[in-house]
Amino acid sequence: MKQPIISFKNVMKTYDGDVKVLKNISFDIEEGKFYTLLGPSGCGKTTILRMIAGFSEPTKGDIYFEGKRINEISSNKRQVNTVFQDYALFPHMNVFENIAFGLKVKHLPKKQIEQKVKEALKMVRLDGYEKRGINEMSGGQKQRVAIARAIANEPKVLLLDEPLSALDHKLRTDMQYELRELQQRLGITFIFVTHDQEEALAMSDEIFVVNDGLIVQSGTPVDIYDEPINHYVADFIGESNIVDGVMIKDELVEFVGHQFTCVDSGMRSNEPVEVVLRPEDLTLTDLAHGKLQVKVDTQLFRGVYYEIICYDEAGNEWMVHSTRKSVPQTVCGLDFEPEAIHVMRFNESEEDFDARLESYEE
Amino acid sequence: MKKFKWSNLYLLFVFIFLYIPIAYLIVYSFSAGNSMSGFTGFSLKHFYTLFSDTRLIIILLNTFMLAFLSSLIATLIGIFGAMNIYYMKKRTTRMMMLSANNILMVSPDVIIGASFLIFFTGLGSLFPGFGLGFTTVLLSHIAFSIPIVVLMVLPKLREMNDSMVWAAYDLGANNWQILNRIILPYLTPGIIAGYFMAFTYSLDDFAVTFFVTGNGFTTLSVEIYSRARQGISLEINALSALVFLFSLILVVGYYFISKDNMPRKNKKERKSLNR
Amino acid sequence: MKKVQTLFAIPYFLWLLLFVFAPVALIVFYSFLNTSGQFTLQNYDSYFTSGKYLIMTFNSVWYAFLITLITLIISYPTAYFLTKLKHKDLWLLLIILPTWINLLLKAYAFIGIFGIHGGVNKFLEFFGFAPHQILFTDFSFIVVAMYIELPFMIIPIFNALEELNPSLLSASHDLGANNIQTFIKVVLPLSMNGVKSGIQAVFIPSLSLFMLTRLIGGNRVITLGTAIEEHFLVTQNWGMGSTIGVVLIIAMIIVMILTGEKKKRGGQ
Repeated sequence: MKQPIISFKNVMKTYDGDVKVLKNISFDIEEGKFYTLLGPSGCGKTTILRMIAGFSEPTKGDIYFEGKRINEISSNKRQVNTVFQDYALFPHMNVFENIAFGLKVKHLPKKQIEQKVKEALKMVRLDGYEKRGINEMSGGQKQRVAIARAIANEPKVLLLDEPLSALDHKLRTDMQYELRELQQRLGITFIFVTHDQEEALAMSDEIFVVNDGLIVQSGTPVDIYDEPINHYVADFIGESNIVDGVMIKDELVEFVGHQFTCVDSGMRSNEPVEVVLRPEDLTLTDLAHGKLQVKVDTQLFRGVYYEIICYDEAGNEWMVHSTRKSVPQTVCGLDFEPEAIHVMRFNESEEDFDARLESYEE
Repeated sequence: MKKFKWSNLYLLFVFIFLYIPIAYLIVYSFSAGNSMSGFTGFSLKHFYTLFSDTRLIIILLNTFMLAFLSSLIATLIGIFGAMNIYYMKKRTTRMMMLSANNILMVSPDVIIGASFLIFFTGLGSLFPGFGLGFTTVLLSHIAFSIPIVVLMVLPKLREMNDSMVWAAYDLGANNWQILNRIILPYLTPGIIAGYFMAFTYSLDDFAVTFFVTGNGFTTLSVEIYSRARQGISLEINALSALVFLFSLILVVGYYFISKDNMPRKNKKERKSLNR
Repeated sequence: MKKVQTLFAIPYFLWLLLFVFAPVALIVFYSFLNTSGQFTLQNYDSYFTSGKYLIMTFNSVWYAFLITLITLIISYPTAYFLTKLKHKDLWLLLIILPTWINLLLKAYAFIGIFGIHGGVNKFLEFFGFAPHQILFTDFSFIVVAMYIELPFMIIPIFNALEELNPSLLSASHDLGANNIQTFIKVVLPLSMNGVKSGIQAVFIPSLSLFMLTRLIGGNRVITLGTAIEEHFLVTQNWGMGSTIGVVLIIAMIIVMILTGEKKKRGGQ
C-alpha cells in the first residue's frame, strides 16, 4: 500500500482538562481522494480539520504528514490550505489581493503571482473578477474566491470546513458537482467537513462518520448507506426503518413477531440485534403477496416519490418510499427482498464488522 | 509555571501610569501635613474638614441634584427622540437626523459652552429676569445629555423585532398599550444605560458649566477648579478619595448594566473626555 | 402610533432647534460682530493678519498633534496586548475606571506630582538630580493631556481589534504568513477604523482643553480652547471669541473628514 499522506495515530483532544472533544482517533488519508468527515455539530469533526491545518494541537497522539510527525509544525509551514466556513476573505483586499496573499508572503515574483491567480480564478470560473471588492460578490462567488485563494498555493491537501452551509439549496447542489470536478482535475486530496449526509454521499470517495469524538464508521458512500454499522449511522444517513430483532441462526432473523430469511450471518444464534430496512426497499402490494400486513396511515408527496407511513398489526411504524400513490386507511401487504434486510449487532467494532462482512460476501 | 511575557510587563507599566496619580491623591488625603510633598503621618483630619465644610457639602448636594434632574429630563426627551428617528421612513432624513443628533456629541465643550452663553444672554435680554444660574446650567446639562440617551436607546430599537409590535396590534392592543407594555419594557436596558451615562456626564462636566453658570450657582467641578487654581488643599484629596470610591461603585454598576446592553463604549468615552 | 410619537417628540425637536442649530448659528453670527455690536469682517481680518492668532492656532494644532501621536504610540500596543489577556473585559474596565474620575481631580493630582517638592522631583533627588520646575511647562501639559486621553485612544482600538474575525487570522496563517506578516497585512489594516476614531477622540479635545493649560501649562501653552475662554470670560470680546470658535469648528470638521470612514473597496 502507498504511504498515506496524512495519518492520525491515537489522537486525543481535551479542553480545559476534562472536556473530551476527541476520544481516540486513528485513520489514514490517501493521496488524491475526496474524503468527507460527516457528523452532527459538536461531534469533533471540525477539531480534526483544525488539527490537520495546524490551528490546534492534539493533547495526546500523533499526526503524520507524508510519514513525518507534524504535531508542532505551525500552520503557515504546512502544505495544507483551508476553505473556511465563513470564507474568511480579507475585507480590505480585492479578489486579486486575496488570492495573491499566500503567494506574496512567500515572495514569489510578480509575474508568477499574476499567472497563478489567473489560473486559480479560471479554475473556479471567475475569470476577470480580479479587481472586484469582496463585498461586491455574492455568497456563491465569495465561496469560489475562498477556494481559489486556497488552491493558488498548490497545497497537497485542501481542507473544506462546511463551505457550502451558507449557500441556498440550488447553489449548494451546483457547487457539489463543481467541487467534485475540481478535485478530480487538481488530483489533490480534499478533506471535506459537513453535517449534511446528502452532500457527503454525493461527493466523497470515502466517508468518515464521526460521533461524540470517535470515528464510528468509515467506507465508501455505498458501503455506509447499505451496511451501516449501528443504529446511529443507519439513522443519521438516509431514512430508515429500524426495529429490534433476534438472529435465530445464520440467514434467518426474527422481528415484529415473524421470521424472515436474510443474507447476514456470522452471529451467535438467538443473539438480539437491530434490523434496518430502507424505505425505498419496501413495496406495498396486495395482502396475499405481502410479508407483513399493514394499514396505510398518512401519505406525503415528495416530488419523485410518495412517502407513506403505515403501521403493522403489532403497531410498528413503517416508512415506505413508492412511486405509486396509495390511499390512507387501506389495508395492504408490505413486501421486501431478503437482501433489503440489514442486520446490525449491538456494540460491534468496525474491525469485527468489516471482517464479518468479508467472511460471507463472496 | 507561566512564562514571563514582555507584553505583560508593558501592560503593567501602562496600568501603573494610569493609577499612580489617583493613588497619589488618595494616599495624601490621609496625610497629617498640608501639602502633597512628603507624607507626614496618618490622619483623618482632612476628611473631618471636608465633612464640616458646609459650603462644599451644599455644592456636592447641588451637583447631585443637578445630575439627577438633568439626566431624568434628558432621558424622557431622548427616548422619544430616538423613537422618532427610528421610525422615520426615509433613509436620508433618518441619517440627517442622526447627524444632527450627534453634533453636540462631537463638538468641543468650549464651543458648546460659549454658544450656550451667547444663547442664554440673548434670552436674558428678551426676557428680563432670566439670568445665568441654576436654570441655565440645568438646561445646558439636559441639552448635552440628550444625544447620548438617543444613542443608547437606538441600538435597542434596532434590535427590537418589529413583528412584535405588529403582533401586539394584531392581538388588539392600542397605541398607548403598545408603547407602555411592549416598546418601553423592551428598551429598558438601553434607557437605564442612557440615564446612567447622562448622569455621569452631568457629574463630570466642567467646561460647559463654567461658561453658563453665573455667580450664584457652583458645581463640584467648578469649585475644584477654582480651589486648585489657588493651590493645594488636602481637603480636595479627601474629596478625591470619596469620588474614587463612588466611581468604583458606578463602574461596577455600569458593568452589570452594560453586560446585557452592550452600548457603544467609545461614544461615551469621547464625550466625557471633553469635560 | 405615529401621532402619539410626533406629539411626544416635540421636546426633542425643540431641543434640536434651540440647543443644536441656534447656538451654532449664533456663534457664526457673533463672529461677524465687533465689540460695539456692529456687523463687520474685522475679527477675521485680525485673525488672519495680526499673526499672533495664526501662531496660536499653529501651536495649538502642533500640541494636539504631539499629544495624539504619543497617545497613539502608547495605546496601540496596550490595546493589542489587552486583547490577548484572559479576563480582558475586566482589564478593560480598569482602563475605563480612571475616565470616570473628574478630569479636574486628575489634573489636580499632577499639580502635586509635578510640584517642586512633588513626587517626580523626590524621585529625581533620590538619584542625585537637583529638583526642576516641571509644573507649568510644555512637557507637563503634554504629559497630563496624554494621561487624560490615553483611555479614549485605547478603547476604540481595543474594540476594533476585538471585532476582528479570528478566522481571518487563521486564514492568514493557513496561507503561509508568519505572525509579523499577519500583523502587518491583516491586523493593522483592519484595526485602522479604531485608530481613526481614537485620533478623533483625542485630537479635537486636545485643541480645546483650556482648564489644563490654566492649571498645568501655567498659561505658557495657549490652545484654541484657552483663547475662546479668555475672550468670552475674561476680556469679554465675544466677537473675536466666536471667530476663534468658528476656526475650532472648522478644524474639527477637517479632522472628522480626514478620519471619517471612507467607503473603500471591499470595506464593510
